[in-house]
Amino acid sequence: MTRLHRALVLLLVPLLTFGAVASVVAQEEVNISHYFGGELNLENLNTVMANFTDASGISVVDSPIGHEDFKAGILAGVASGVLPDVFSYWAGARVQFVVDAGALQPIGAMWDAAGLDDVVPAGVADAATLYNGERYFVPFNIHYAAFFYNPKVWAEAGIEVPDSWEGLMDAFAEFEMQGIDPIALGSKFRWPGQFWFDYLLLRTAGPDYRAALMAGDASYEDPEVVHAMTVWQSLIDAGYFVDGANAYDWVDAADQVANGQAAVTLMGTWIGGHWKGDGLVPGEDYDFFEFPPVHPHLHIDVPQAGVGPIDGWVMTANADPASAGALMEFLVNDVDTQTLWNTSFGSISPNVNVDPMAYDVVAAKAGASIANAAVYAFNYDLATTPPVAECGLDMFSAFMDDSSDIAATLATTQACAEEGFMQ
Amino acid sequence: MKLSLKASQRLWTFAFLVVPLSLYFVVVIGPLLATAWLSLTNYTFSAFASPEFAGLVNYQRLTGDDYFHTSLYNTLIWMVAALVLPTGGGLILALLLHGRVRGANVFKSLFYLPITISMIVIAQTWQWMYQPDWGLLNTLLKTIGVEKWKVFWLSTRGLALGAIIFAWSWQQVGLSMVIFLAGLTSLPGEMLEAAQIDGANYRQSLRRIVIPLLLPSSVVVIALAVINSLRSFDLVWVLNEGGSGSSTLAVQMYRETFKSLRAGYGSAVSMVLFAIAAVIIVIYFRRVRRLEHLYD
Repeated sequence: MTRLHRALVLLLVPLLTFGAVASVVAQEEVNISHYFGGELNLENLNTVMANFTDASGISVVDSPIGHEDFKAGILAGVASGVLPDVFSYWAGARVQFVVDAGALQPIGAMWDAAGLDDVVPAGVADAATLYNGERYFVPFNIHYAAFFYNPKVWAEAGIEVPDSWEGLMDAFAEFEMQGIDPIALGSKFRWPGQFWFDYLLLRTAGPDYRAALMAGDASYEDPEVVHAMTVWQSLIDAGYFVDGANAYDWVDAADQVANGQAAVTLMGTWIGGHWKGDGLVPGEDYDFFEFPPVHPHLHIDVPQAGVGPIDGWVMTANADPASAGALMEFLVNDVDTQTLWNTSFGSISPNVNVDPMAYDVVAAKAGASIANAAVYAFNYDLATTPPVAECGLDMFSAFMDDSSDIAATLATTQACAEEGFMQ
Repeated sequence: MKLSLKASQRLWTFAFLVVPLSLYFVVVIGPLLATAWLSLTNYTFSAFASPEFAGLVNYQRLTGDDYFHTSLYNTLIWMVAALVLPTGGGLILALLLHGRVRGANVFKSLFYLPITISMIVIAQTWQWMYQPDWGLLNTLLKTIGVEKWKVFWLSTRGLALGAIIFAWSWQQVGLSMVIFLAGLTSLPGEMLEAAQIDGANYRQSLRRIVIPLLLPSSVVVIALAVINSLRSFDLVWVLNEGGSGSSTLAVQMYRETFKSLRAGYGSAVSMVLFAIAAVIIVIYFRRVRRLEHLYD
C-alpha cells in the first residue's frame, strides 16, 4: 500500500464512520408540521416534544406554520409528495381526504401494540381514527363549541344565563337595550362564522340531514338550509351581531366578550387557552352555556348535537413507522403529556387516564357537555371536503356582509359545492 | 486545432452562460411552460390524478366568473394607483429632500426604512393600524371627537381595497424616492444655473428641466411600481384574505389553486396575470431602448 493509499484510507475511515453514525442518528429523528401557533398553545407543544425526546432519544424537527396557511400547505404537500413524517390534522373529512389520496399510512399495528383501545373511548376512536376501515389518526384533544361569556358582565346587567332559545333571544334583546352588543363574531378569516351555520342547521334540521348535506346528498337550496339561514338572518337584522364582524378575528371577538363590550361569542373551547394566557380565571372571568334548542315546540325530535373539532396527528406514507409511531403513541398515551396539553389548551383529553380533577371548571363542564350530547359533530370545514368547505366559508363571510338575499346566496353555494364534490 | 480569437470568445461566452441559462430555464421558463400547460387542463389537487387536456375551458370560464372580474378590476386599479401614489409621492419626497436640507439624511433613512421590512411585518403593522376598536386610525378619529365615524377599514366594500393599496404605497414610496434622488443627483448643475441666470423660477425649472431629465428614473420607478403591484398577494392575504371585494389576481390564483384545489383554473388566472406583466415589461424595455438611443 502506497503512502497515498494509506492517507486515503486514513481519511476515509473516519468519514465513513461519521457517515454511518450520522445515518443512524438521522433515523432517530421525526419531522413534524403543525398549526399550533402562539395563541394555540405552541409553548406547551414545545414542552411536550422536548419531553418526548428526553423519554425516547428521538429528536423532533418542527416546522410550524400559520393555522389557516397550514390547510393549504399540507394539501400542496400531498399533491407534490413533500410531507413531514407526522403532522397535526383535524379528524373527519380532512383526514379522509388525505387518506384517499394515499398520503398516509395506517397505524393499526402501533394502536394495538400500545393497547390504545383501553386508552381512547370507543366513541371517540370510532369517529375520529377510522377511515376506510383502518386506523390513521391519534386524537390529541377534543374541543367543544358553545356560547362563551363573561359572568361578571351578565351579573352586572342582571341577566340570567338562558337555557332556551326564547330565553336567549330575551337576553340578547336586553343586552341590546343596555348598549352592549349581544354577539361578538370575528369572521375576518371566515371560519368563525361556521359555528352559527352548524348549530342552527343541527338544531333545526338535525344531525342526519346535516350529515347528508356535508356528504353532498342534500342541497344548500333545500328548505332545511333556507330555514337555518333565515334564523341567522333574523339575528343579523335585529342588530344582535357586532357591527363589522368581518373586520375582526376570533381573538378580537374574545377580547370584546372579556372586556364587556359584547355578551357572548360562539367559539370553541380553545378560547379558554387564550383567555387563561391573558390571566382570566375560568368560571369567574369566563364561562359558557350550550347552544339551546331552536324552536323546540316545532322540532321536538331533533337530537341535541355538540359541535367541535378533534385535533390529532397522522403519519405520512413514507415515514419510518418505528420513530413516527413512537411519537404518535406518546402524544396520546402519555398521561403527563395529555394532562399538560389539554389543561393548558382548554380542551378535553381523549385519554381516559387523565385525572378529571386536573381540568378547570369550564373545561370539566365542556367534557360533560360532550358526554351528554346526543351526537358529536365535526364543525363545518372539517365535516365536508376541503373544496366544498371553501364554498361554505365564503358563504358565511359574504352573509355577514350582506344577508339580504338568502336564495341567491344559497344558489351560489350549491353551484360551488356541486363542483367541489366532483373534484 | 487553434480557435480564432472571435471563436474563442464565443465559446467562453457560451460556457459562462450555460449555468445561468440552465438555472433560468429550470426555475422560470420550465414552471411558466408547466403553468401554461396546466391552464389547459382540468387538473385538481384533490383528484391526485394526471392532468387531462381540456382546451380553453378554463379561459372560457374566466369570462363568466364575477370573482375574476373583481380581481382583474382591482388589479388594474392597483396598477393605476401605483402610477400615482408611490411614484408621485416618491418624486415629491425626493424634490423636498434633495440638496441642502437640514436633517435630510435622517428623513431619507426614515422614508426608505419600510422597504427593508418584510411585507408580512408591514401587513401586521397595518392590521393594527386598521383595527376598528383600538387601531391607530380609529383612535385618532376618536381623539378628535368623531368616534361615531368608527370605520371598518378592511371589511367595508369600496374602502378595503383603498386601505390595502395605501398600506402598500406607504412601503413603496421610499423606493421611488431613492431612485428619484439618484436621478436628481445626476442632473447637470450648469443647466439649472443657466436657467436661473435666464430668469426661470423654481416652478419653470422643475417643469422644463428637472422633470424631463428625470424621465429615465421615472421609467424605472413606474415599471417597478407597476410590476410590484401585480405581485400584490402577501399584504392582501394577511390583511383580509381578499375579502370585502379586495381580491386581486394574485390572491385569486392562490385561492383557486391552494384553497379550492382547482390547479388548472388557478393556472389560467396566473396566465392572465403573466400576460399583463409581459405587456408592461415589453413596453418598459421598448421605452428604455428609446431612451438609450436618445442619450446616445
